[in-house]
Amino acid sequence: MRADEAESQILSETPSKPRPTMVEAYENPAGSIARHVPGGATGFRGVLLHIHVAPAASYEMEELAEAECVAGRGIVGDRYFEGTGTYSPKPDTREVTLIEQEALDALARNDPPLQGGGITLAPGDHRRNLTVRGVPLNHLVGRRFRVGEVILRGGRLNFPCKYLEELLGSPVYLPLYNRSGLNCGIERGGVIRPGDEIELLDDASA
Amino acid sequence: MTARVIMKLKVEAARLTTPKVLHLRLVHPLKPELPAWEPGAHVDLRLPDGKIRQYSLCGDPDDRSAYEIAIKREDAGRGGSRGAHETLSEGSVAHVSAPRNNFPLQQADRHLFVVGGIGVTPVLAMVRRLSAQGADFRVDFCAPSEHDAPLLPELRAICGERLRTWLSSDGARFDPREIGRAQEGDQLYVCGPQRLLEAVRAAAVELGWPEARIHAEAFQATLDENFKPEPFDATLASTGETLHVPADRSLLDVLRDHGVTMPSSCELGVCGSCVCGYRDGVVIHRDSVISVTDRQHRIAPCVSRARVAVTLDL
Repeated sequence: MRADEAESQILSETPSKPRPTMVEAYENPAGSIARHVPGGATGFRGVLLHIHVAPAASYEMEELAEAECVAGRGIVGDRYFEGTGTYSPKPDTREVTLIEQEALDALARNDPPLQGGGITLAPGDHRRNLTVRGVPLNHLVGRRFRVGEVILRGGRLNFPCKYLEELLGSPVYLPLYNRSGLNCGIERGGVIRPGDEIELLDDASA
Repeated sequence: MTARVIMKLKVEAARLTTPKVLHLRLVHPLKPELPAWEPGAHVDLRLPDGKIRQYSLCGDPDDRSAYEIAIKREDAGRGGSRGAHETLSEGSVAHVSAPRNNFPLQQADRHLFVVGGIGVTPVLAMVRRLSAQGADFRVDFCAPSEHDAPLLPELRAICGERLRTWLSSDGARFDPREIGRAQEGDQLYVCGPQRLLEAVRAAAVELGWPEARIHAEAFQATLDENFKPEPFDATLASTGETLHVPADRSLLDVLRDHGVTMPSSCELGVCGSCVCGYRDGVVIHRDSVISVTDRQHRIAPCVSRARVAVTLDL
């Protein structure tokens, strides 16, 4: 057997997990409320810095030069697209997850000083799919925005988990609290690449 | 027990150190450094057929550039080692977890090791560290023959005079009483087949070794043919929910069925992945990983059970 065959076999034979049960972003308890509450930053122009996927739960994240996003499903090759993620059996909005580079910068400078020192997360160690700069993610629950040709809908704020802390062996739970990123659904699929522009869209169906 | 990242590592070198033992050097394809580890640590290896097996790291704990493991082909085993021998060769990809340590070096004035066959792997890493520190140690290594003694040249190079080999082919048979009486500051480590572990433990206890200074690692479940599992109830402390565990199912399986996600790996009571706390109840411990003192409050739900009822810290 060739190595790559062996590999695909491992991934396909990872103990069978139920198919992903995605909750559409605007049907998420958070997104459905936020959608009808006006406010939030507008007019920003952000940029996509990195794309990461992991083939299955606990696997190291791998950086992609481009990624295919499938509406209602996720990023091709990611554990939440495949239904092999740690939280796949739990119905939720997690087609795509995003985190702000600004939050990672704050962690690195130990700001606020919650730890003995700064925590530097290497790209992908945070286990979110997209690392973005200049995008106020906490303002985008219940909003539509464009990443390159793809349109995302903010479903709920991401929340740090103890599992991530265990996986990294680093106390990231508290410092990530309230800036852990955004869980999104994909309204319009397509191909995204680092460097893609990110901007807010009108709520066409509001 | 903690979750660990799984990495796709490249097999940089693969060679047979004995006819049955495959020695692998694994490197990260992109990163110059792998997660740090301490002597005695093991990694999980995920095999192409989905099996997960534990292998001790036998390389230099101060060299972060590669992991080294040695896999004995067990033709009568559960198939994991056979799969590894058949699929892993130079250039192939091995799915390997970050290390975990259930068999750490202890504080000691003198470290005594009794090793059988492939049990040499964690000890090799341990003596590398002790030798670098100039610590006092001695190794008794039992193997069928020079030809079948895994990693013997490496062990010799590190230990020199501190190594005694006991090769059946030479008619040299290790008498467990060779370990002698426990001196103040001694720690005893035993690693190898269950038979050796039991013989050395029995001799050590007879020679006055306190249980707390005997450290053993078995990568094989404790087999108790006479064990008859009985049903019991497990209550989750967080929710108060009570789950019934039938005689023919493990506590781990029942927890999973009820949506309690537990990390797990060997499901034989040796790796410690699924270990959790418990509050009250009489637990029937059947694992080989939780220490005697921790058995008061820790349980391995993959193999251990309870009499009538137990409350879990979940």
